[in-house]
Amino acid sequence: MDKRVEFSALADDKSRRRRAAGCLPWRKYAVIYKSVLMESLQYAANMVTGFLAYFIFIFIFVRLWGYIYQTPGELIAGYTKEQMIWYVMMTEMIWFGSNAASVAREVSGSIRGGNIAYLMNRPYHYTLYVLTKYTGEWSVRLPMYAIFAVVIGTMMVGLLPRFPLAAVPVMALCVVLGLTINAVFKMCISLASFWIEDATPFQWLYDKLLLVVGTMFPVEIFPIALQPLFKLTPIYTVCYGPAKLIVDFSLEKCVEILTAQAVYLAAGSALMFLIYKKGVKKLYVNGG
Amino acid sequence: MQAIEVENLSKTFRVKRKEKGMRGSIKAVLHPRIEEIRAVNGVSFSVEEGEMLAFIGPNGAGKSTTIKMLTGILYPDGGKVEVMGIDPTKKRRQLAYQIGTVFGQKEQLWTHLTPYDNFRFFGAIYDLSEKETEARIGELAERFELAAFIDTPVRNLSLGQRIRCEIVASLIHKPKVLFLDEPTIGLDPVVKENVRELIKQMNREEHTTIFLTSHDVGDIEKLCRRIIIVNAGQIVQDDSVEHLVSHYLDKSPADMQAHDRACGVETGNGEPSAPTLEEIIVDIYKSKEDC
Amino acid sequence: MLTAAKNQMRVCLLSIKYNIMREMVNKVTFLTNVCFMVLNNATFLVQWFILLRLREDVGGYTLREIMLLWGLVAASYGLSHILFARVFSLSELIIKGKLDSFLVQPKNVLVSVLTSSTDISAIGDFLYGVVIVCACRPGVGGFFLFLLFVVTGAVIFTSMALLMGSLSFWFVRMDMLQNQMVMNIVSFGTYPDGIFSGVTRFLLYFVIPAGMAVWHPVHVLVSFDAGMLFTVLGYVCGLTVLAVAVFYRGLKRYASGNLMEARL
Repeated sequence: MDKRVEFSALADDKSRRRRAAGCLPWRKYAVIYKSVLMESLQYAANMVTGFLAYFIFIFIFVRLWGYIYQTPGELIAGYTKEQMIWYVMMTEMIWFGSNAASVAREVSGSIRGGNIAYLMNRPYHYTLYVLTKYTGEWSVRLPMYAIFAVVIGTMMVGLLPRFPLAAVPVMALCVVLGLTINAVFKMCISLASFWIEDATPFQWLYDKLLLVVGTMFPVEIFPIALQPLFKLTPIYTVCYGPAKLIVDFSLEKCVEILTAQAVYLAAGSALMFLIYKKGVKKLYVNGG
Repeated sequence: MQAIEVENLSKTFRVKRKEKGMRGSIKAVLHPRIEEIRAVNGVSFSVEEGEMLAFIGPNGAGKSTTIKMLTGILYPDGGKVEVMGIDPTKKRRQLAYQIGTVFGQKEQLWTHLTPYDNFRFFGAIYDLSEKETEARIGELAERFELAAFIDTPVRNLSLGQRIRCEIVASLIHKPKVLFLDEPTIGLDPVVKENVRELIKQMNREEHTTIFLTSHDVGDIEKLCRRIIIVNAGQIVQDDSVEHLVSHYLDKSPADMQAHDRACGVETGNGEPSAPTLEEIIVDIYKSKEDC
Repeated sequence: MLTAAKNQMRVCLLSIKYNIMREMVNKVTFLTNVCFMVLNNATFLVQWFILLRLREDVGGYTLREIMLLWGLVAASYGLSHILFARVFSLSELIIKGKLDSFLVQPKNVLVSVLTSSTDISAIGDFLYGVVIVCACRPGVGGFFLFLLFVVTGAVIFTSMALLMGSLSFWFVRMDMLQNQMVMNIVSFGTYPDGIFSGVTRFLLYFVIPAGMAVWHPVHVLVSFDAGMLFTVLGYVCGLTVLAVAVFYRGLKRYASGNLMEARL
């Protein structure tokens, strides 16, 4: 009996809050987004050191591929030297520009520090709150890395021949989908903190997998037997797909990658909601 | 002998001021506006060996800056400091053997270790032999009644148990002077009372000089005979607690009524009420603000 | 003097022991951290298998040299993070005024700070480094030479972090530069020196000392060269002296309290 009273009070409260938000349940996400966006803008200094780190990575790869490609026009795994370097530049741009580690830090930190108990009772879905916040972060960072990448890429290796400018919006969409999928997967791993004390080691492995298999080299460079396997992993949708599309655009590839991304995003989000629900339940049972 | 001698002590911070926003940041780089803040401004006092002194003042009055200068963390810009006859700026490490510090808001203990392991670590820091450390731990554990939880990791202790351990850790090397910075912050009244009693006991039995800062008037009333009030970097009152209270009664009735009004005290019959120490302190803080 | 040094050593050892004890409180976390770090490092073998399939050598390095290179970087990075993990967050300590509690202790401030925490995953790095070098069969002499270079490498990592971190006494936001510097040594140090040339190479020996921490040692391990060995030792001494000097200059400034708003 008592419980029912409590429930109806809760429902009242909910509807009141909804009214207060102007009948727009999504508005709160916009506010979260905006406040973090402003904060990010102030950290120009972070950008400079980030650029430096990015530049160093690219520089090493330019030298490395410069050493490995011996004759001009040589093809390795179907890529010219310029394409190979642009490929790394694009995957690293996504890597640096998205900085998905911040999602992991935030979620693991909240769960381990016990803050989650307060956050999950707020009138928003915690996972969407984190993702929105994260979107606010990369919305500033990624375009700046994109500009920086184009500038240093043009200076160090030159523009890609036959680059389809008209396809840029599709490429951008592909990049955005890719890094959102990545954030969802990182969130899933972090949500494991509900059960295990420290999920960071799993983050390392996931990151390393992306880095070695998808970021440094395109999938085609691996033995042919392994390639179909890689295409089943998130690598295909997170880094390989968008970068491949940028350095070697074709319409059928584009459709294929976008489809894979849609499937991955749906499956990943379902998994994320499920883990979160189970985790919260576990928290209620054990009382944190 | 004087435990602490301070003469005309001063400390000025130079702080870069930045206006809000992007424009402010650019301005700060081009024309940095440097502001001087006199955190401590010509402070002089001395503390007898074995005395218990309350050193109080509103937030930002210069209390912690003074403690930092007394313990050798900060160097003064002017004036002279001597603690147990040692100049903290010249012989910081030598001084460290003579003093103990407890910062209520900063933990000095390793939270994953048991109090016992912590005490042994502090024993090593102060060059006590294993035997001396053991003996001292036994002695203090008994006095502070730590036996029940001396083998429980610090992070699993209650705040009250933890602060008792903090105090014991700072006493391992039998310091001559103990600096307590808000030792009872966040404790419940019973534990507060208990901690105060222990501090008193240390002072009585080991003749430890106590230098206390606190916002809790109870700490001051229960522990200290003498009180120094600082505000805006200067000493505004240096008196015995007893005298301070009676001196305030000597003030003219008009003054007292004004004071009562300021404090929102309804006396009803127009007669001034006898102010408590707390009211006096509030009054002193405020009167300084006005000028 | 001797007793003072002995007492200091006692405190250091106790400190390191307690640090490791802390991390081992939860054995499962401890073991997964260590094991996953080993796995994490091992993924880079994949990268080199791929690259060495394309060319027989990369910058003059075959798989054996690459393994030595990786072993050295991992083991020295690991050692510095096991013993002196706190130096890598020195900037934060300075900016937040957390050096206070070290200053009221009657021990050497720098040593107390350095040994005040540890990083368990670094044990994984260290083990990985040792195992991978052993897999190269360096021989007994070679192994001891390797250990010597692990120590010099760890000192380079630590000193570089100390030097960069100490700049926080003067400038804000040095924490990022500090991390960047350490990561730069790792990034460059995990690739063969043969792919760099000219000014870059010079910079990589003296400014970002990947050359001193990794490449020279690898060359000495492959074919012994006393000149290179002494260059490394000399550089290590010089860098350490500089870093310690800058730290103590900064500490004076810390004690004068004129750091920045954050300290007030």
